[in-house]
Amino acid sequence: MPEPDEIIHQQTRLRIMATLCALSEGKQVEFTRLRAIIGATDGNLGAHLVTLEKAGYIAITKDFLGKKPRTRVALTRAGRKAFNRHVAFLRTILEGEAVEGEKP
Amino acid sequence: MTVSHEDAAAALRDIERAQAYSANLADYESAAPHFLIWGVLWAVAYTLNDIFPMFGASIWAVVTPIGVIAGLLAMRGGRNGIAWRYGAAMGAVFLFLTGAVMIMWPVSGRQVAALIPLFVALAYVLKGIWSGLRYVVTGIAVATLTLVGFFLVKDHFFLWMAGVGGGSLILAGVWFRQV
Repeated sequence: MPEPDEIIHQQTRLRIMATLCALSEGKQVEFTRLRAIIGATDGNLGAHLVTLEKAGYIAITKDFLGKKPRTRVALTRAGRKAFNRHVAFLRTILEGEAVEGEKP
Repeated sequence: MTVSHEDAAAALRDIERAQAYSANLADYESAAPHFLIWGVLWAVAYTLNDIFPMFGASIWAVVTPIGVIAGLLAMRGGRNGIAWRYGAAMGAVFLFLTGAVMIMWPVSGRQVAALIPLFVALAYVLKGIWSGLRYVVTGIAVATLTLVGFFLVKDHFFLWMAGVGGGSLILAGVWFRQV
């Protein structure tokens, strides 16, 4: 029985993970592009990205493109596995099992 | 952590929507450089075609391989096998158009110059029906502008194609990069 992932289940983080998971492995997305896709504010998206990065689910790269600072985000292998596990958990619930996971 | 049946269903719907949108945008993003490359090449080649109408075939014989090579370079680091599929698709298009022109021979340079963009526009519309509205809009725009130019622009049809054909592909390339 797959376990729920409380970090991923939050709505904005779920969208971030789903968006990144739809891309090919290792593909990076610029922060500004991700912000437009998710429809979040800078601060809100930034906070959720930090949470996901701390969990090891995404990797954030900061560099400069010319003189312009650039932040790019990519899903890690651990992130992809965790996301797939969480999706499997959600599907299990839909298949009819009421699940009460343990609080961390 | 408790997740109800309704929560799970809503989360899965959210995931499905986000993934479809993300994949769609990624597809647009990967197509954008090709629109820009071919837009610039169309603009240059049709302009040269207008200035030197006798050398139309030679101009396109140089420009087409440049476009294919630039397209292959733009796909470096893409999904496995995408480069050879692109090369094979371009080869198939070339063979189809060569065959079509041979069947309809004799044809004027003007007719060939309209047939190729029309075929390209059809390819965009067909792709768009399966994978995104932007392709459909681009295809309809290229087809409409080509037909308008072919039937209404008596002189300098090639220059028309350089401006509106190349221009619409460049605009499409810019549009496809947007979220």
